[in-house]
Amino acid sequence: MRLTVILLSVMILTLNACAFSRGTLGDELKTDAINSIKKGTTTRAEVLSQLGAPDRMLQLNGRDLFQYYRYDAKAGSLLLIVLNFSRISVKSDDLFVLINREGTVEEVIASNRTEGLEFRFWPFGN
Amino acid sequence: MTPWNLLRTLLLSTAIGIALAGCNVVRVIINTPLTPESVAFITEGRTTLTEVVDALGAPDSIADAEPGAIVIYRFLNAKYSRVNFGWLVKPWSPVDPDLAFSRSGLGTDAFELMCDANWIVTHHAFVRHRAEPPFTPYPF
Repeated sequence: MRLTVILLSVMILTLNACAFSRGTLGDELKTDAINSIKKGTTTRAEVLSQLGAPDRMLQLNGRDLFQYYRYDAKAGSLLLIVLNFSRISVKSDDLFVLINREGTVEEVIASNRTEGLEFRFWPFGN
Repeated sequence: MTPWNLLRTLLLSTAIGIALAGCNVVRVIINTPLTPESVAFITEGRTTLTEVVDALGAPDSIADAEPGAIVIYRFLNAKYSRVNFGWLVKPWSPVDPDLAFSRSGLGTDAFELMCDANWIVTHHAFVRHRAEPPFTPYPF
């Protein structure tokens, strides 16, 4: 207890500033829109109307692959007078929709990594 | 607190302050760094891409390859540390001296999977085999 009080006092006396920053790239991928895409039935036009134009499009063995992504970056800094700690975490949400030659969805690959992204300043550990 | 204890605490605080003088520790993490242990479940010729996505999430990119596709997971675990020993003489110097040691390690890596036309993993490997960079500002 006494040690905690001392450490806290030292921390307060040496605390210079704190900083929090955030940056995002791309639109949020809505879970409802992703869940509405059904393999074998949803068409290319429906995908485009639900999600808009893809961020990236490529050909995969004659089939179209639409990629949608969103990046989220969170940075936290603890600025003490003689010692600074910072941590920047970047994660992405990605959605891939594979459309076959007939124009219907063949495969949907999606993940939401940004959901658990937190502001952290402690650079050590995982 | 006795005077002796007070003096000892002050000396200890000063020593720590000097040792950490002008110190910066920064970490940058992009996506979740993958390790050989976290991809050990993949069996070439058996594991499907769906199983990989269930475990690791969606990849960062998919590229065309004969006869299937190449799936890539990219991640970064960068560490930077810096100590400025110029702080030691700041109180007594008319100028603002710097004697800074710093070191950064990027540790960029990617995990690639090759899938056949049925989305079954046929090959998988890390692009590089970098050890995790340490937090050591000593550059030499």
